[in-house]
Amino acid sequence: MKHFFNILFISALTVSGMAQAEPPKATTTTSGDYKSSTVEGGADRLFDVNSDSVDMENGSMQWKGKTFNLGNSRLMRARFERYLQSPPASGDVEKYIKILDKIEKLLAPNAVNQSNYYTCQQEAFNLLFEAAQFEMDANNSLTIASQVKKIWTMRAEFRDLNITKNQLEALRKMQEGVIVNRAQKIEESNDDKGSAPSGQGGVKKTSQGTTELGYRVKDEARTQAEILAKNAEMTALGLKSQVEFQSQMVGFLLQRRYRHCIIASAFYRVLFKGGSQNIKVGAKEVKEFFPVSDFVPTLESLDTLAREAMNDVSLGMKTVDDLQKQGEIYASFERLQETYFLGEYEPVVMTFDPVKKREMLDLWRDLRELQRIGDERDLANVEGYVNKVKGRAKDFPGTSILSKVNNAINASNMSVLSAKQAALSGDTNKAEAALERAGKIWPQNPQIKEFANQVVSRQDKIGQMIPEFDRLVSESKWRDIFNKKLEFALALSSDKARSDKLRQIINRVGELDANIQKASVLASQNNPYLAWDVLVEANKTESDDLVLAKTRSDIAPLVSDYARLIGLAEKFEKEGAEAAALNAWLQAQDINPASLACGEAIKRLARIVAGGSNVRATSEVPVPPLTPATTDEVPVPPAR
Amino acid sequence: MSKIPPIFYALGIPVVVIVILLAVVLPRLAGGGKFADLSAFSVDGYRKDWATMQGNVYRLDCQIDQQLSFVEGKGRILAVKPTDTARGAGRISVFVPLNGGNNFEVGQRYKFKVRVSRDLLVVEELEKF
Repeated sequence: MKHFFNILFISALTVSGMAQAEPPKATTTTSGDYKSSTVEGGADRLFDVNSDSVDMENGSMQWKGKTFNLGNSRLMRARFERYLQSPPASGDVEKYIKILDKIEKLLAPNAVNQSNYYTCQQEAFNLLFEAAQFEMDANNSLTIASQVKKIWTMRAEFRDLNITKNQLEALRKMQEGVIVNRAQKIEESNDDKGSAPSGQGGVKKTSQGTTELGYRVKDEARTQAEILAKNAEMTALGLKSQVEFQSQMVGFLLQRRYRHCIIASAFYRVLFKGGSQNIKVGAKEVKEFFPVSDFVPTLESLDTLAREAMNDVSLGMKTVDDLQKQGEIYASFERLQETYFLGEYEPVVMTFDPVKKREMLDLWRDLRELQRIGDERDLANVEGYVNKVKGRAKDFPGTSILSKVNNAINASNMSVLSAKQAALSGDTNKAEAALERAGKIWPQNPQIKEFANQVVSRQDKIGQMIPEFDRLVSESKWRDIFNKKLEFALALSSDKARSDKLRQIINRVGELDANIQKASVLASQNNPYLAWDVLVEANKTESDDLVLAKTRSDIAPLVSDYARLIGLAEKFEKEGAEAAALNAWLQAQDINPASLACGEAIKRLARIVAGGSNVRATSEVPVPPLTPATTDEVPVPPAR
Repeated sequence: MSKIPPIFYALGIPVVVIVILLAVVLPRLAGGGKFADLSAFSVDGYRKDWATMQGNVYRLDCQIDQQLSFVEGKGRILAVKPTDTARGAGRISVFVPLNGGNNFEVGQRYKFKVRVSRDLLVVEELEKF
């Protein structure tokens, strides 16, 4: 069942666009992924495209196997809904795109040469401010302009540092000359003293001038250190400018600002010399787009990715239009969703027809509601919303959803039935498990509520039925118990002693009913005497039964003489007049020769009479019947 | 020697035979026989009120219908049908004490001398006929 729900909810998510995306490496089609055929069409030849999909749950989108983080899922949904609700971006899109194209052209490798190096940069720089005036630019051009201006400033600083470094180098060379000069002089002085005659006070070397030399050496070392510091500062400045610029470029790419990424890349290419063209920042991220082990990311790699994405977005929006024209609204919606998240800031997406967007918004809301119903497992309302969505989008795959929903409903109902059966058999644990299963599948299943009411009602009923059962048993009202046997059976199912008693009563009354039925059949076959025998036999144990009494009263007029004789016989026997009783039975047997009751009674009484005849002569004389046999009253045999 | 005429024999012998037969059969036809002096037993009266017949002795002409019970050392209970239905029809039971020598077969006819002992008819003497 759990597996079923996974399918169900994945289906629901698929329906509503809340796709459960597989990890980036997934190569198989995953339910819920929105495959971008537009991307795969051309890019497969260049890239190893694993999958492109929008993962609303994780707030990410995969493109060419790379996951773009789009924020959390709620914000992502809200952003897409806001896009569908918002009016198109104002401004002349074509003019904006032309400005951006012009900037690209000004900075293109074929346009920039030594003579126009600065003018091209300046002209492109100025155009950035024009582009920033358009709403759809969102002032990102100003960011590029700031970055370019910063590079220019750094470049001036670099020049100043270079001058300082050159001056220091000149100073160091001068200091080096002074040191050499001073050292030579000290050496010469020492040589002169060494060659003088020994009689003039002896040979003695002098250390005069060495202190000054020491200071000169120290000065030269300080200058050397300053030069090295300037060199380091220049290197750091250059690296910093590269890193900052590259960070901005990769940032634009990951933010899906593809045009700005391309323009920033173009500026970078012009501003930095050939040795700095490799990507240092975001190299790892860029490499992920190119599954080649020894791939070296360059500016061109970024350019390629950005242009490919722009092409995909452009093709995606054309597909959206075409599908909408063909009436395939749901497919169009899917394409729009994936295209939006790939190229949210592309002018073609931002200026999408508001009327079509409105249509998509209505579909989106219905799909969201359908998803909510699915989340809440409100299966009863799924069909209604599926039909509503199908009303908007005929290509919506609602049949499979309805099939799964119907299966779920059936499974839930079966579990409720199983719970009922378990409850009736007294297996509470099994009933609870089955009910829980039914609730998990379909929490709002009306049969669950109905079952709960039945359980409560049953508990009430049990509280009433047990005392009633006990009272009827104490009053020997078997027929009343029999008439309510189902209610008692339900109420007493968990009470073994009473259940056994109920079973005995049901069997007893059932047997009595069978005898009554047998008597009725015999009477209807014109054999009332045998019918009476059956009733008399039954009456021995069930003398209080009303149905038996009624049947006896129905048949009695047909067998009045026979009944009278039997009654008389039983009366005599009861009074100890066995011989008289025997004669009465003989007389009754004359009327009904086939009677087993008569035969048995005669045999029994004959044995008694034969065995006790010698005592009889001395016993007390019993009172004979005083009433003649002319009365119509039918005596009823006494109950035993 | 005087000779008896044959006619005498021809008439005398039948007459003698007839006389003998009448002497034997008539008393029986008249309901007498061995217990001719006893009152005939009334089945209806017995059934209706045997208490008033307590201790009385009657003659019961009947046919054996069935032996109902036999107790060694005591006797047997027979179901008999009165041959004279004028005083009541239907079977009644009689007790024949064990006095040896009597074989009862279904269908045999007897004259019983019966005594009403409480509600029971006890056969004191009997005669097959």
